[in-house]
Amino acid sequence: MLRYDSTSSSAGSSSGSLSSSSSSSKPPQQDIDGLLAGAGYKVRSSELRQVAQRLERLETAMGNSPADFSQLASDAILYNPSDLACWVDSLLTEFAEPPPTCSSDFIVDPVNNQTVVNSAWTTAEPHTPQVHQNITYDEQQSLDNQLTVVTAMEEDSGIRLVHMLMTCAECVQSGDLSLATSLIGDMQGLLTHVNTVCGIGKVAGHFIDALSRRIFQGMGGGSVNGGSAFENEILHHHFYEACPYLKFAHFTANQAILEAFDGHDCVHVVDFNLMHGLQWPALIQALALRPGGPPLLRLTGIGPPSPDGRDSLREIGLRLAELARSVNVRFAFRGVAASRLEDVKPWMLQVNPKEAVAVNSIMQLHRLLGSEQTRNSPIDTVLSWIRGLNPKIMTVVEQEANHNQPGFLDRFTEALYYYSTMFDSLEACRVQPEKALAEIYIQREIGNVVSCEGSARVERHEPLAKWRRRLSGAGFRALHLGSNAFKQASMLLTLFSAEGYSVEENEGCLSLGWHSRPLIAASAWQAVPAWDNRMSSS
Amino acid sequence: MVENHSREDHETGGENKEKRPKFFINDHVDILIEILECLDGRSLCVAASVCRLWCTIARNDSLWENLCFRHVSPPPSSVRSVVLALGGYKRLYTGCVRPVRSRLGRVRRATWAGDEVQLSLSLFCVDYYERLGGSNSNGRLVEKSSPSSLMFLCKPVNV
Repeated sequence: MLRYDSTSSSAGSSSGSLSSSSSSSKPPQQDIDGLLAGAGYKVRSSELRQVAQRLERLETAMGNSPADFSQLASDAILYNPSDLACWVDSLLTEFAEPPPTCSSDFIVDPVNNQTVVNSAWTTAEPHTPQVHQNITYDEQQSLDNQLTVVTAMEEDSGIRLVHMLMTCAECVQSGDLSLATSLIGDMQGLLTHVNTVCGIGKVAGHFIDALSRRIFQGMGGGSVNGGSAFENEILHHHFYEACPYLKFAHFTANQAILEAFDGHDCVHVVDFNLMHGLQWPALIQALALRPGGPPLLRLTGIGPPSPDGRDSLREIGLRLAELARSVNVRFAFRGVAASRLEDVKPWMLQVNPKEAVAVNSIMQLHRLLGSEQTRNSPIDTVLSWIRGLNPKIMTVVEQEANHNQPGFLDRFTEALYYYSTMFDSLEACRVQPEKALAEIYIQREIGNVVSCEGSARVERHEPLAKWRRRLSGAGFRALHLGSNAFKQASMLLTLFSAEGYSVEENEGCLSLGWHSRPLIAASAWQAVPAWDNRMSSS
Repeated sequence: MVENHSREDHETGGENKEKRPKFFINDHVDILIEILECLDGRSLCVAASVCRLWCTIARNDSLWENLCFRHVSPPPSSVRSVVLALGGYKRLYTGCVRPVRSRLGRVRRATWAGDEVQLSLSLFCVDYYERLGGSNSNGRLVEKSSPSSLMFLCKPVNV
């Protein structure tokens, strides 16, 4: 530990010690305020306001804890005061938290700034009388004051984190991995100053993890998708409970399917991702109660194969069958185990030409997109055999985000905003175990979007506008979801008594969002007849 | 005074002819049922604690069916068999209809009345399905800690 008044001559130049937490690799001489430079301080003009605010906060903090004050004078590491921004930050850190982990990058400044430091402290003192009273209250009060200092600084740290994340992503895109690595280190340090239980700190933590995985482990990202199918199902179930997105998806799709099946006695639903089959009880019940009686319902559920000999698809099918039997709906289930959707061939579905078919894809189609726009990419193959089935309706629910852009930085930025919004909406959830596991579910998505490439990156979300173009180009036309679906979605959202969710209708498609940022969009489609032959459609 | 009362209690209806007829509600179960049908859910639960007869009557699912469809046009007859299969009207009311109504009631949209019950029924069905999973599975981790899809309807407990 060095005192600021030591006569050590190893001062060195202060520019070399410019704090790496100021996230910029630009030369520090640019943009320095001229007037302060004359007084011996180096402060960037763009940061003047922030530095002033931080000085104010420092003054408040000093007033609140005069005990630390004296400790600071005697035995603290003091940093280069001419770099005022960092100096104030470092002092603020010491007031807010004990300073065990001080970076040794900071170089002690020579004696000539001693007087400046003293005057800064002496000017602080006259302002203490009003805050002195707080010391006579019980500890809680002073703790609150310290907390307010911390939260104000947190906001700042939060903003800095976001900027550093962007810079790091830019470095990754341009290939400057050494700078990216050092930024990761700094961000992880900054994370300790931020509340990681909620808000920006939590999301930032996940993105930092994903970035570091990308830098250090390459882009296979195998560990991200390492979760077993069983784990994924559990996380999915908790995500279903914690927030309304999946419920919205299921109920909206069911309403559209119910309306499409009106008048048909043999119906067949193909579910692209069965999971626990939570979507289907409500449809079975609605079919049971439809005027005219229930049809014969066949359900084909596609899902990953279970590794340990359990036939999870069949188990879900049995459960659904039992439900259907209780409500007197004739029901038949078939499971198709496939690890990737493109491995499924239409003959596996055994569609009967006389039945009305509904294809249901909840957040599955984007997995078929590759980054290269080749002729026979998996999405085209799958869409064409779906058309071949001539479904009465195809319900598509997808994340409303543009996470399939070729440029990494654009993708990263979009993901940061999208998942921050989603985490914000999750804050409203009160049910604790669900929330934690739902967050892990989202975290895996983040990891895949950020740290994987090529075939390992499956979370290739595209916005509704792109899906519209793609599906129209593949021979589908949009069906309007209707006012019943909208009403049901609005009611469902009101039940989740968190203010902030909103349903919007957009040319017949419904989207659910948080504070008017749409996060998930549901649409319905029908095959345009005789597309390939270019005959006039009926 | 007390003696008179006890004597009257012992006497059957026939011997009461000469005295002023005393009306004892428990003797007139049909009137009792009609009265109980007018109660709201909470009062009905309270009524179930009065005596054994009231408890038996209050457990009768048709009273709860009445509650579910009170301000709504009567549903098609097929609804009853479905609801009974999924767990009964009392469960439907206490688990779904009541919380749904109270939360949607804050928004006060009159057009939603019938749809509230439909939505409640769908949620009720998902819940039944999840309960099926808990009882059937052998050795699956999801047994007891399985999240209930109706939990979002529960009020948060202020600890």
